[in-house]
Amino acid sequence: MKKPADFFLDDPCRPRHFRPAPSSPAPQEGPAQAALEVSHTRLLIAGALFVLAFVVIAGRLIEVAGFKAGDVRFARGHAPSHAVAARADIFDRNGALLATTLDVPSLYANPKLISDKRDAARRIAAALPELNENEIYAKLASDKSFVWLARQLTPRQQDAVLQLGIPGLQFESEAKRVYPQGSLTAHVVGFAGVDNAGLAGIERGLDDALKNRDTPVNLSLELRLQYILKNETARQMRDFHAAGAAGLIMDVRTGEVLALVSLPDFDPANPGAARPEQLFNRATLGIYELGSVFKIFNTAMALDDGVATLTSVFDATKPIEIGGFTIHDDHALKRPLTVPQIFEFSSNIGSARMAEAAGTDRQRDFLGRLGLLRQPAFELPEVGSPLMPRPWRPINTMTIAFGHGISVSPLQMASAAAAVVNGGVFHPATIVKRPEGLPVPGQTVMSAATSNEMRQLLRLVVQGGTGRLAAAPGYLVGGKTGTAEKVAGGRYATHSLVSTFVGVFPMNDPRYLVEVLLDEPHGNALSGGEATAGMVVAPAVRRIVERIAPIVGIPPVDENSPEIRRALMVGSPNPPGRTLAAN
Amino acid sequence: MIRLGTVFWTLAVMLAAYATFQVKYQVVKLEDELGQLNRQIADARENARVLNAEWSLLSDPQRLDRLNQAFLHLGPVAAAQVARPEQLAQIPLNAAPKNPAAQVAGLPR
Repeated sequence: MKKPADFFLDDPCRPRHFRPAPSSPAPQEGPAQAALEVSHTRLLIAGALFVLAFVVIAGRLIEVAGFKAGDVRFARGHAPSHAVAARADIFDRNGALLATTLDVPSLYANPKLISDKRDAARRIAAALPELNENEIYAKLASDKSFVWLARQLTPRQQDAVLQLGIPGLQFESEAKRVYPQGSLTAHVVGFAGVDNAGLAGIERGLDDALKNRDTPVNLSLELRLQYILKNETARQMRDFHAAGAAGLIMDVRTGEVLALVSLPDFDPANPGAARPEQLFNRATLGIYELGSVFKIFNTAMALDDGVATLTSVFDATKPIEIGGFTIHDDHALKRPLTVPQIFEFSSNIGSARMAEAAGTDRQRDFLGRLGLLRQPAFELPEVGSPLMPRPWRPINTMTIAFGHGISVSPLQMASAAAAVVNGGVFHPATIVKRPEGLPVPGQTVMSAATSNEMRQLLRLVVQGGTGRLAAAPGYLVGGKTGTAEKVAGGRYATHSLVSTFVGVFPMNDPRYLVEVLLDEPHGNALSGGEATAGMVVAPAVRRIVERIAPIVGIPPVDENSPEIRRALMVGSPNPPGRTLAAN
Repeated sequence: MIRLGTVFWTLAVMLAAYATFQVKYQVVKLEDELGQLNRQIADARENARVLNAEWSLLSDPQRLDRLNQAFLHLGPVAAAQVARPEQLAQIPLNAAPKNPAAQVAGLPR
């Protein structure tokens, strides 16, 4: 058997003087032996390191290929980039789009690349009829290499230009906030500026959420109700030449605002062109002395605190003289009146007497519980703070009984009135849809029995009192009128009025509150020359109720059926929460 | 022996190289495809946004009311036109409305 080294010696290709070192060297002595030992060890260590490295790499390969093949983390870098949704969308409660961000193309041209400029101008003008052919030609004939032709085209316009196939035409796209509903929801949705900052309405109120999240915001607004409210409010404002108007529809069980209108309004696509009074939100920022609608709270206070019952009598024989101020009735009955009569015929004197009997502390406490004495928490940034007397003198107590000397926003009024009719629970108003299945935040502010009595009184006003024109047959409307003189230069101006109607339906089991306010209406032949709420606002509330009831699913009932009559007869104990209409 | 080993390893290296390039080209192709799909997704999303906006624009109640007044002349549902199922039982079958106008009382003519 040959020794391994002999193979090399047999190799004919072996370099001539090459002699391989013996593979198993003969034992040597001394330093040579030691050096050999050291290099041997080094070789072993280096080899071991290489083996280790290869094992690690192999292990990693098996791990990656075999066990993590479907791991999403590896695909992360390739996820589709989110569209330019720089700002989240805004929807109404049913998913109708109110605000979105679109990539909007603008058309520019490089005239140096266009050979037949006259022909190009003619064809562009044919594709985009709103452009002038001669102007386009003038732009194309310039010796620049960049000219804007049309800004912010619709996809259809862009397509028309692409169809032309003219070289030298280019598009540059930019994100643009679009409000498809235009002025209909202008005061609620508001608008955002060019730098993606919300400047008004929900766009400002929920700016952080809209900016940073990709999840859309669902408002509590109902677009169809919003339209009906705006339509009818605008008609009333036009008919009676009012300076402005506000309207609000609220779900009394949740405090959700279903429609909110302030007129005049503006186009959110071009807020810069709007006058200040168009941008002013009368429904939430405007505060008004609302007049007799405050008798709702005055009466509820007297009943709830036990100061009066439905059979109590207050003397309204003659006007009250107090502090150089005379409180009198518009249609003086000049006799003692019961609480329902005071409410039905809107007696200022009787109301003042009730407040007097209750006292300032009780009144302030009660109005405070109804949220009328502080700025309400609301998602819109345009929220007004109430104005109230400081100090609160006895004369203030008496005038506040019928809504003078205190100014609140229509929004506060709606929240407070909703609490009076819904069984006595105050729900903070919201314009954002409440999540389903979660309890609605609320605070009990009066007994359910008081709330039931107030329903009967409010129904009385529409059945036979000052709010007769709000009666929508079959829908059991209840409500209260309020006609207040505006303060001008420190005095009440007789011919400058704020006429308000707060309506609720169906009165046997209240669901919706409709509030309409006209600012400075002028009576004419349509209203028998009067500008009072009962004449100029109540008819609008009737039409609104008739139009929205089928949409919100409130079935009409027979108003003369014995159960309904019994439930709404003043003084009948109707167990609260029990639904008498079969709905 | 050595030749056999050399041939084997050479073949192995060539095979590995071929497989590697094959995989690499596949990956490049897939990445192209992915990029294309991602662009399509982005386009589809943008289109959906535009169509949503257009739908909202077209279903704007102000516009629908304008069109209704121009072509259909429909009015709001009157309380008299709404009936509950139990009321239907009281109406005899095949009973044609005697006076169709009475059914739509309260509607603007």
